[in-house]
Amino acid sequence: MTDIMEKNSIAIKSAIKIETLTKIYRRSHLGRLHTTTGVKNLSLEVKTGEIFGLVGLNGSGKTTTIKLILGLLFPTDGKITVFGNPMPDRKKLHLIGYLPELPYFHKKFTGKELLVFYSKLSGMDRGLIPGRIQEIAGLLEMVPYMDKRISDYSKGMMQRLAIAQSLVHDPPLLVFDELVSGLDPLGIREMRTLVQKLKERGKTVFFSSHLISEVERVCDRVGILHGGSLVRVVEQTDWQRTNLEDIFISEVKK
Amino acid sequence: MKRILAISYYTFRQNVRNRVYYVLFIFTLIMVFVSMLLSVLGGEQPMRILLDFGLVSIEFFALLIAIFTSVTTITEEVESKTIYLILIKPIPRWYYILGRYTGILLSVWTSMLLMYAFHFLMLTLQGWHPGPDYLYAVISSSLKIAIISAVAIFFSVFSTSTASSLVFSVFIWIAGHFSTEINFLTGKMEFLPAKYSVKILYYVIPNLQYFNWRDFLSTGVSFFRWMPVAVVYAVAYIGVFMCLSSVLFEKKEV
Repeated sequence: MTDIMEKNSIAIKSAIKIETLTKIYRRSHLGRLHTTTGVKNLSLEVKTGEIFGLVGLNGSGKTTTIKLILGLLFPTDGKITVFGNPMPDRKKLHLIGYLPELPYFHKKFTGKELLVFYSKLSGMDRGLIPGRIQEIAGLLEMVPYMDKRISDYSKGMMQRLAIAQSLVHDPPLLVFDELVSGLDPLGIREMRTLVQKLKERGKTVFFSSHLISEVERVCDRVGILHGGSLVRVVEQTDWQRTNLEDIFISEVKK
Repeated sequence: MKRILAISYYTFRQNVRNRVYYVLFIFTLIMVFVSMLLSVLGGEQPMRILLDFGLVSIEFFALLIAIFTSVTTITEEVESKTIYLILIKPIPRWYYILGRYTGILLSVWTSMLLMYAFHFLMLTLQGWHPGPDYLYAVISSSLKIAIISAVAIFFSVFSTSTASSLVFSVFIWIAGHFSTEINFLTGKMEFLPAKYSVKILYYVIPNLQYFNWRDFLSTGVSFFRWMPVAVVYAVAYIGVFMCLSSVLFEKKEV
């Protein structure tokens, strides 16, 4: 019954639906209250099976939006649903795989040890874990590194491990924060291929980036964030006529 | 339950592989060797000096390991953002608190067990055979360490600074050994606001004197009458602090 409900929720057209979302950070220092707006009145819909990119300048609210979707931050106003489930709901987090910006792991563990740990936390059946880890390691071409300690990993390998932990429980929605940040050209190309493979497997990919050229190459639609507000959603057909970079610059300079 | 155990085991392995943990452990061994030297110089009661010095130094270093690991584990994990990868898994946040606590306790108790085994061996080699009082001392210290670990976890959730969490935890440890004196002071105070403030402090801080088994030896109280009371007190105190930590952590934005 739960499985049927789960499948139904995934069959819902919206993978992510954000309605009038506002996040105001309040910090008190020496009795004075300081407020900063993370995002304001943000409304956005990501369709199931699409690759949606969120672009914006540094501090435009990309990471805040992602953290609000994941329940790492709590909204000041507005609501978020993931496959029709109101968030934050920790029980529904198995529907999401998350790659943080600048992923960091405890260096004393091996890649395999960490993936086993994250698989267990995701509630995976113990018997399925070794096979799934092997599959993901193969997909990300990291089999020879699985028994090495994280301290021996390069930045690119850390990024792969972070992606592996987001994929290991086979979630229908992938949320990647700055997917290609700090990667070399070869790494960037591999990530691009990976995102396409995920789309072919029916996954929804929502990712943030400030590299417009990358977003342009892989996304079906792109949202432009500026000053915490969504200023425009651009369809692929739009940037096939006009350069996405030009659209972006004209929007943020308005 | 499996997921709490996964976090607990992960924490245990993380601590065991932490170099600070080894440094403290080796240092304790050196201190026990020093106590052997002191026992040679002690003249009349070398065994008593070896026994007392060993027990005190084991408790002291276990305290350092417990407070240091409890305070840094969560704070560092928030700072390094590795906590994201745990909190975005479909687990209630209190699983994280309980898993971390039990993992820390397991690692500190393991270090204590090794130190006690070494100390016991030294006493035996010196020709002294500790009686059941030695076991009672081990149980008492272990309970005190369990309490202070719960307190330190609470401070690490409550505070954003490692230094302040360390200071608060050490303060609680010291104040906890002067509960009777604090209670005595409240009886002498005439200024009511101060009297009630200190009275509240008396009830809030753990009464660690319950775990000084030697203090009860002279009163003729049987260990088997005293111990259940001490265990119930410790479990209740830890339970309250785990609940408070969980409630605070539930609302914490990371």
